[in-house]
Amino acid sequence: MHSAFTKTFLLVIAILVVAEIAMRAFWSRGLSGRFDYGYHPTAGFVEKPNGGLELVRAGGRRFHRQLYIQKKPRGLFRIMVVGDSVPRGPSLAEAYSTRVAEFVNGPGIPAEGWNLCLPGYGAHRCHIVLAQALKYQPSLIIRHVNNSNEYEDEREWRRSQDFQGWHPKNLLMKSLLVRRLHEMKTEGVFWSLLPEKIRAQQGMNDAGAKIIAMTDEKQIRAWQDRVRNFLKEDLDLCRAAGVPVLLVTQVRMRGTGKSATLDDSGLDDLARSFVAPGVDVLTMKDVFSGTDFAPLFMDTAHLNGRGHEILARAIAEKITPVANPPQR
Amino acid sequence: MSFTSWQFAALLIGVFALYWRLPWRGRTWLLLVSSYIFYGAWDARFLALHFTTTVVDFYAALAMEKGRVPLRQVAVMTSLPALWMLFCKFARVQNHDVAWQHLAPAIALPVLFCGLYTALWRVPDQRRRKAFLLLSLGSNLVVLGFFKYFNFFADSLVQILAALGWKTGWTLPHIVLPVGISFYTFQAMSYTIDVYRGQTKSVADFPLFAAFLSFFPQLVAGPIERTHQMMPQFEKPRVWDPTAFQRGGRLLLFGLFKKVFVGDNCALLANYAFAADTPLNGPWALLGVLAFAVQIYGDFSGYTDIARGSAQLLGFRLNHNFRLPYFAQGPSDFWRRWHITLSSWFRDYVYIPLGGNRGGTFATLRNLGLTMVLAGLWHGANWTFILWGAYHGALLIIYRLVPPLHALESAKSRPRVLLGTIVMFALTLVGWAVFRCGSLAQLGDWFAAFGHWQGTSGIGWSKPAIGEVLAAPLANIAVDWLKPALWFAIHALPLALLQFAARRSGDESDNSAWPWPVRGIIYVLMILAIVSSTSGEVEFIYFQF
Repeated sequence: MHSAFTKTFLLVIAILVVAEIAMRAFWSRGLSGRFDYGYHPTAGFVEKPNGGLELVRAGGRRFHRQLYIQKKPRGLFRIMVVGDSVPRGPSLAEAYSTRVAEFVNGPGIPAEGWNLCLPGYGAHRCHIVLAQALKYQPSLIIRHVNNSNEYEDEREWRRSQDFQGWHPKNLLMKSLLVRRLHEMKTEGVFWSLLPEKIRAQQGMNDAGAKIIAMTDEKQIRAWQDRVRNFLKEDLDLCRAAGVPVLLVTQVRMRGTGKSATLDDSGLDDLARSFVAPGVDVLTMKDVFSGTDFAPLFMDTAHLNGRGHEILARAIAEKITPVANPPQR
Repeated sequence: MSFTSWQFAALLIGVFALYWRLPWRGRTWLLLVSSYIFYGAWDARFLALHFTTTVVDFYAALAMEKGRVPLRQVAVMTSLPALWMLFCKFARVQNHDVAWQHLAPAIALPVLFCGLYTALWRVPDQRRRKAFLLLSLGSNLVVLGFFKYFNFFADSLVQILAALGWKTGWTLPHIVLPVGISFYTFQAMSYTIDVYRGQTKSVADFPLFAAFLSFFPQLVAGPIERTHQMMPQFEKPRVWDPTAFQRGGRLLLFGLFKKVFVGDNCALLANYAFAADTPLNGPWALLGVLAFAVQIYGDFSGYTDIARGSAQLLGFRLNHNFRLPYFAQGPSDFWRRWHITLSSWFRDYVYIPLGGNRGGTFATLRNLGLTMVLAGLWHGANWTFILWGAYHGALLIIYRLVPPLHALESAKSRPRVLLGTIVMFALTLVGWAVFRCGSLAQLGDWFAAFGHWQGTSGIGWSKPAIGEVLAAPLANIAVDWLKPALWFAIHALPLALLQFAARRSGDESDNSAWPWPVRGIIYVLMILAIVSSTSGEVEFIYFQF
């Protein structure tokens, strides 16, 4: 049997082993949390030795790139928005997290808006982000409530659990070298060289499965319950930290043009059931009803820059009484 | 069970670990059981169909050569498919439904086959051999025709009748195509034909024959092996050979590289370019067909390498199926390099029996054309496959009739070899477009795309537009085409380099002339390329044929 292994074979094994050891010795920190499908406890917050905090990514998704100071300066009104692709916005500058801070910002009330939103994040993963965010002394949490990402949340949860196990299909990914290469290929080559249409084909099966799941009434009820339960946990955490919360509920546009209507999918009643001291609600349906809202949407759910601005103005009006006492 | 799945890796490692510890008979049984597990993993019900082919051809070949076996034995063996189907039905294997209409043919098989078997033994001696050959060929072709072509011909008939104004209102059943049926059916037919011709002996050992016909490395997509080459390897005890182990490992590495890194990544571009809703323009039509040419080669030759490598680990040598086909100087040369075991099958069992080149120019050309149309039809039940076969038949005919082209195919000087290769590659690309398009309408759109050189960003690529291109923001062009073209180059060039290095041997995996450290570094790079590309299993193209 020994003669079956040639010098070439032994060289290959040696190179791979050395590369793996080097990867573990020098680059393992940079990979922590990247393969947890958004369920790593750090949620993509990277603390710098100089006291800075960088928001990079969670799972395969990226925050808008942001850099803050870990310890909140005295007198700063720190607004943190937690949610999915809708509050994430078309860009950091246009997103309502930034615009709210601009509106609130004024003499005596310096404010900053953190955009802690990631596309496809449902209640469970938003909860992890929120738990992490509370470590950095928020003055106000804006929790954007939606229920359309629960399928993806559940799927990614299963994947993360599966990935941590020892199923044979995951064995290769136990190697940091393989993980790093895979990531480099995905982000450095796949994402940068292939148009979105081609990349979208890769997710076609997921999209199909999601559509099928969304036609199941029982499934939809279960998702609504899931959102309710995680939202309750979110509010308990914030209450314990003494941080006020504004719940902003998502709305979906049905139809097009003048005949378009707004549908809250039951989220408004859900959010209102949580109203209590320190917890308030603003519904997108209330904000946009009575306006010519169709041009403000990029699709049935996502707002364009102008839509974000209108929503930000409404939020700013709502939170000014909270922000006004500059003692915080 | 796909060759790139963890299940296959587990199966191969498990079989390999056990195999060399067993005696010869035990190895045969291990191969048979593991092959049935491998095939049944897709859809266990179709094991009954595969077993039916095995039983029918086994007894037909025996009857042609060795003599009669007791009818009770035939009855018992032909009853096994029905018993398996009943087991699948009541045990709900893989949650597949086994309807009574699926069971009925399996239940009828022992009655029908025993009746025919008895009847054919009453045929006079001189005609009996032919009668049993016809029984074997008939059953194989009926199974293949029904499962592979029923939908196609039935749908075509309904469409023709509708075009004639007769709305049939028929509700046609959708027949599921068993994986690899074309491959194992052809291998089975070549066995009975060879026995009839006296070119090989019939096999009297049923487990041995069943292991040969279901040998998992080559069961679902070839190479289509001949009995006189494979059966001696099954019959004699295999001896452990470290060099065969090394060759096998190397073939597995090259196969995975070609499939996972080259084929699957080029497939992203090809699938996009040939999707029904993609608005094609000239650059994308070209990039799409180039990507498909590399994809189908990487996919199929990668599969073959994995098949050959797996077989080598178990002490078997399978035939080459490819010898750098895109280096071909003409269509005859191409078919000596592409899917070699299929083209030689058609040569030996269709072209030569039709008369080959023995009946003058016209007959030769007719035989060539007919053979290639059938080869096209073998690939699938679609007009585009038939057209692809006819196209290659036409190329073969034209190259024979036009002296400059004929000379180009056999040229030896370097410039003419290069010219011949480029011309043939361009013609092959047109053929791949015909092959890849889902319908004739889509094929028309693909050709029409070459008259449209506008990018989706509105940048012109044609006549006066060269200035605009230069003036336009490069980013727009990049989005349109250049970046995907770079993706293609990243995945196709390493294969091209390997092929260039192997241009003399014709086998990319044969790099014994390289210094061992160079080989080691290249293998490491290939391994890293493979593992960086794994994004789930992508099915092999030829599994559908």
